[in-house]
Amino acid sequence: MNKMCLGIPGRVVKVDGNIALVDFGGITREADASLEDVKPGDYVLVHVGVIISKLSLEEAQETIEMIKELIEQ
Amino acid sequence: MKEIVIDPITRLEGHGKIVIKLDENGEVQKALLQIPELRGFEKFLVGRTAEDAPQITPRICGVCPWAHHMASTKALDDLFKVDPPEPAKKIREFIYNVFMLEDHAIHFYVLAGPDFIVGPKAPKEERNLVGIIKKLGVDLVKNIIVTRKKLRNLEQLLGGKITHPVMGLPGGVAKPLSEDDWKICYETSKEALEFAKFTLETFKNVVLSNDEYVDLIKSDAYTHKTYYMGLVDEKNQVNFYDGKIRVVDPDGNEYVKFDAKNYLDHMAEHVEPWTYVRFTYLKGVGWKGFVDGKDSGIFSVAPLARLNAADGMATPMAQEAYKEFYETLGGRPVHHTLAFHWARVIEMVYAAERMMELIEDPDIKDPNVRKLPEATPDVGIGVVEAPRGTLIHHYETDGKGIIKKANLIVATQNNSARMVLSIEKAAKSLIHGGKVDDGILNMIEMAFRAYDPCHACATHSLPGSMPLIVRIYDKDDNLIKEIRRD
Repeated sequence: MNKMCLGIPGRVVKVDGNIALVDFGGITREADASLEDVKPGDYVLVHVGVIISKLSLEEAQETIEMIKELIEQ
Repeated sequence: MKEIVIDPITRLEGHGKIVIKLDENGEVQKALLQIPELRGFEKFLVGRTAEDAPQITPRICGVCPWAHHMASTKALDDLFKVDPPEPAKKIREFIYNVFMLEDHAIHFYVLAGPDFIVGPKAPKEERNLVGIIKKLGVDLVKNIIVTRKKLRNLEQLLGGKITHPVMGLPGGVAKPLSEDDWKICYETSKEALEFAKFTLETFKNVVLSNDEYVDLIKSDAYTHKTYYMGLVDEKNQVNFYDGKIRVVDPDGNEYVKFDAKNYLDHMAEHVEPWTYVRFTYLKGVGWKGFVDGKDSGIFSVAPLARLNAADGMATPMAQEAYKEFYETLGGRPVHHTLAFHWARVIEMVYAAERMMELIEDPDIKDPNVRKLPEATPDVGIGVVEAPRGTLIHHYETDGKGIIKKANLIVATQNNSARMVLSIEKAAKSLIHGGKVDDGILNMIEMAFRAYDPCHACATHSLPGSMPLIVRIYDKDDNLIKEIRRD
């Protein structure tokens, strides 16, 4: 294979009801926040517009480092 | 809180691109699917310790971390030639079914729900849980959210972390199931079973009682006669965690059954110049282009394919549902892409019943959960059924277990060729004489949602929609129309 679904962490910017604004390194997207309790500053994974998990800062950082390394190869 | 700069991803284009080429009469000549992907993942594993792979792979692939964690762990069992003790296998299979149920539930209620529960023509604003609340009531939706949280809680309890599990080790699992944890697992399993039963009832009440939906599922526009692949147990029943890979032909007869370690004898990858996607196909049948039928090596994976590739389900309620499924849709195999949703619900019932069986098995509390690997590593291959289909991890290492070569066959890749068939069929039915019906995007989207592809583009989409661009070119390669959804 050379394709892979990406779990790129995004950072929640604001939450309005069940919709959150998520920042993926400069690209912001609205995402459904019904499944997880999120607040601004949280790192999250989004799949097809739905926040499916919340990451600790450490988990998010490790993942981003890994993706950076992957891209720079 | 400290902020992390996520710069590199701005370089990733977030759309799936569909290119449709017309002939001189304005009819569809061919359809192409171009998906932006981050490449080089296998290379990334090279030079790393194989024992780290079960932690690395779920980090990159956040949509189904447990599938990668488990396939990777099983590849390590094989690499170090160690067969885990039975209690360890049961703990693994238990938590794996928890994950399958959780992932399927999100898909059914949140991602696919709009098509079937809210209605295929519902406005975009209702294509989310809000629309589902309107249709099914707020209590039910609360129940979905609470049940999902409880399932996630089990993943955390047993896996150490939810998104990046640290449970699987070559030869077993990191810790036995304590009495306290067992109680929580048992209680949640009971609730999960009720939840899955309820979901099946809901599906029947809302979808199957509506002739319009049933006609849509059966419509030729969403039908492709391909081969189907899935893991089966010794009785040829569906199993997510272990078994042999079985393939049935478009008539439903067994074509081949093999151990995952022999996958390269049966599966090959086809490359097209217009996309990074490598299309897997059956080696024995051969690549004949994007066509269906018995002479074409294109196969399909994921819920519908698993049901088609098996002779039945291993648990009673799921088996009942399995029989009803084939009776309603005209016998095995079912070739209708939109039947993926129903198959997914049947698998939810199976996952919950299997959780219950495993947690009630006294063996699962046995503290003997690890056998230490002693053999010198060389090659390891592991397989599981991910929510989106058959997933294979293959590592080759030096004598110290440092990865020299890695090959991953991921689930969505196994459905990619069939996805191209779906696009082409949609295009052919909605484009004539150079005139393009705007409904084409909806039709493609609906087919895509059935497969639930985990492409990179899915990461950046808006709630309830797939980020797609459809570009249509005439015979001289002039762009005549672009339809996009962001």
